Amino acid sequence: MRKILAVVALASLIGGQTFAADAKKADPSGFTPSRDIEWVVTSSPGGGSDIYSRIISDIMTKNNMVAGKTFLVTNKTDGGGEVGRLAVSRTTAGVRADHTLLTFNSGDLMPMVKNTANRLANFTPIAVMAEDKQLLYIGESSKYKAFADVIAAVKGGAKVVIAGSKGDDVATYELLIKELGFSENQLAFITNDATSAAITSILGAHVDLVMAKPAAADQYVVAGKLTPVLALSRTRFSGNLASAPRLSEVGAYKDVEFPVWRGVVAPKSMSPKAVAFWSQAFKSVSETEAWKNDYIGKFKLVPSFMDQQAAKAFMTKFEEDYLKSLGK
Amino acid sequence: MENIELLFRGFAVLFTWQNVFVTVLGSVLGLIVGAMPGIGSLAGVALLLPLTYSFNPTTAIIMLGSLYYANMYGGAFSAILLNIPGDSPAVMTALDGYPMATVRKRPGQALLVSNFSSFIGGLIGMIILTFTGPALANIGLKFGPAEMTALLLVAMTSIGWLVGENPTRGLLLTLFGILLACIGMDTLIGSPRYDFGNDYLLGGIPFTPFVIGIVGFSQVILLMEERHVQVKAVTDKLTIRGSMITRHDFKRLLPPALRGGFLGTFVGVLPGAGATAASFMGYAMQKSFKSEEPLGSGAVEGIASCESANNAAAAGSFAPLLALGIPGSGTGAVLLGGLMLWGLNPGPLLFANEPDFAWGLIASLFLANLVALMCAWSVIPLLIKILSVPTRLLVPCITVICVVGSYSTSNSMYGVLVMLVAGVMGYVMQKFRYPAAPVLLAFVLAPMLESNMRKSFIISRGSIDIFFEKPISLIFVSIFFLILLFPVLRSLVHRLRKSGGESVQ
Repeated sequence: MRKILAVVALASLIGGQTFAADAKKADPSGFTPSRDIEWVVTSSPGGGSDIYSRIISDIMTKNNMVAGKTFLVTNKTDGGGEVGRLAVSRTTAGVRADHTLLTFNSGDLMPMVKNTANRLANFTPIAVMAEDKQLLYIGESSKYKAFADVIAAVKGGAKVVIAGSKGDDVATYELLIKELGFSENQLAFITNDATSAAITSILGAHVDLVMAKPAAADQYVVAGKLTPVLALSRTRFSGNLASAPRLSEVGAYKDVEFPVWRGVVAPKSMSPKAVAFWSQAFKSVSETEAWKNDYIGKFKLVPSFMDQQAAKAFMTKFEEDYLKSLGK
Repeated sequence: MENIELLFRGFAVLFTWQNVFVTVLGSVLGLIVGAMPGIGSLAGVALLLPLTYSFNPTTAIIMLGSLYYANMYGGAFSAILLNIPGDSPAVMTALDGYPMATVRKRPGQALLVSNFSSFIGGLIGMIILTFTGPALANIGLKFGPAEMTALLLVAMTSIGWLVGENPTRGLLLTLFGILLACIGMDTLIGSPRYDFGNDYLLGGIPFTPFVIGIVGFSQVILLMEERHVQVKAVTDKLTIRGSMITRHDFKRLLPPALRGGFLGTFVGVLPGAGATAASFMGYAMQKSFKSEEPLGSGAVEGIASCESANNAAAAGSFAPLLALGIPGSGTGAVLLGGLMLWGLNPGPLLFANEPDFAWGLIASLFLANLVALMCAWSVIPLLIKILSVPTRLLVPCITVICVVGSYSTSNSMYGVLVMLVAGVMGYVMQKFRYPAAPVLLAFVLAPMLESNMRKSFIISRGSIDIFFEKPISLIFVSIFFLILLFPVLRSLVHRLRKSGGESVQ
């Protein structure tokens, strides 16, 4: 401990003003990381969740928010991620629990509550960092030019197929057909492992529409291979997606929007002091230029920071709504 | 030719000292990563990705591309020498490679055949990639769910050629493989199947530990059982000259390697089918051609067909990745993630906006192919010494490799458990002469077949017509039925001839 204090003292002398500010921020919670932090990611290296976690841990390390400790990002993919989530939720109180984080997105919560008995109540929400939304696109050789055509065609008995990814996309699709009053047979949905596979199938003209988040479809829109026809959002998008109308602009419907979010949780047993510290640390990350440019900007997300209380309320509501939709 | 010009421009980008250096580095690392069971190209690329953040994007992709590519060479080493595939595309290599190295006592030749075939296959893939580029990717796009289903049906029938003398056993094992592949969340709606309330089983049976167990660890058990039987080890001096392949060997490897190269490139371009599927199909295709020795007994043709196909597929899979930003495999997806981190936007505009990048990468594949061949060649004399290691030392070493390899796929003991159970299963199967190949082939192809077939039926609202309406799928479905009816037709012709009074045979 004395050694660490000496290093901290030395660093603050050298680092001067910036570090002093950081140290002050961490102070009020009364917690400072005292060992390496284990950050569990329940999907494979290189994927969206992995990039998200590594970017945040990089920012925290570079800006000296974790007292010089190291993040150990571990990818625990067993059982579709359920094993990793279960292990985190069962961490017993103590130093280890205070140094364990778990990347937790809407796409993680849904299969968890659907397929296992594990619930959000077994975790401590730390923060929500960003939100994302989807759009529907047509391909170059699509039969339909606008979403109104699609609605008319389905009403006329045509078979229309949407391709999309897992989790969030399926939930959004279900909201959409409910609002439109169509059955799954009239407007069908094909679940792909990843959005890129869904885009592949529309580029080959095997489906009529594709659902994708702005970042995944961006290049194809620029190249003219995909054209956005419906914003699954309560507000229109900007830039090259501005032309896509909301559902209420297409006909006498309400807008369809499903909250897709990226967050972080900790074991339920994490001490309140540590929770406060981590929530504050994530808030600081969300305010950095690196986060705004290298993550939010690059991946075209909606910045939306929520601290531990707000995140808890938000995630709990999300879980309730989702369980209700499953009839559980 | 414009593409040739662009390729030369790519070479101009490539030949800076740092890019050549990272190509060599990537190739050597790829060989090592490929040779270590369990740590395949996916883990290798993912592990090195963070290292490349500070590189410029071209240098970074050149390094990872070479690594991915050289990995296909490395996988064959342990498959041939230890009967443990270093990565999943090398599963088929073990079928003939191991017998050739041990039973036929030609380990050096087996390794050389594998390396030469890899080189030929890769070269074919790269040449096709160079000349067709984006057009190649468009062929892949034509394969939607219906076309893929029809193609996979044809591929599944090829299991018929792998079952050996006893069709009932082969069929039984195929069904067993399909059943095992069903465990876990279903691919389309994510509902759990056969998980028995177990959180681990929810994610299914991981392929790599399963293969290491059924092919490799079963070998360990066999070795232990036979440890008292004094097998005369390969005592003859194994020199590089003594390991050279003969002109006759080369003549035998060339036709299957060429066929494998073309088939592999095609499979590599298809959505969702990677090098593993390509090597399986390459091997199965060889079954329908003549081989000098029966496949599975250490035939040169067997090694050549699958090794060539998997390297060609690795090259072919770069077409959709570069031209459309679509990853053909898990490794491709990681590379794609890398592209975004380096500030590039992968997608249909990459060739147009970043020609130096795209063509530099293609040029580096050519160099990586050559470097990997030479590196592999130079370590062969060293590698074949493994075979003269006595059993009592070899067994613990292979066991350690098996355990580490299966642990590293998901960083948990679950993989090790799967490996041990599969090992015992593989041992029992070998004892009772049940072949392992049908189980593995079914295990790889069944999930692809299931998801494509179900997608087709969603598109067609459950109508089977979809397979007959589209020309490509119609062709494959016709081939499928021809293969199914072939034995019936043959026996019919046989009977007609007999009744005609002609003596047959």
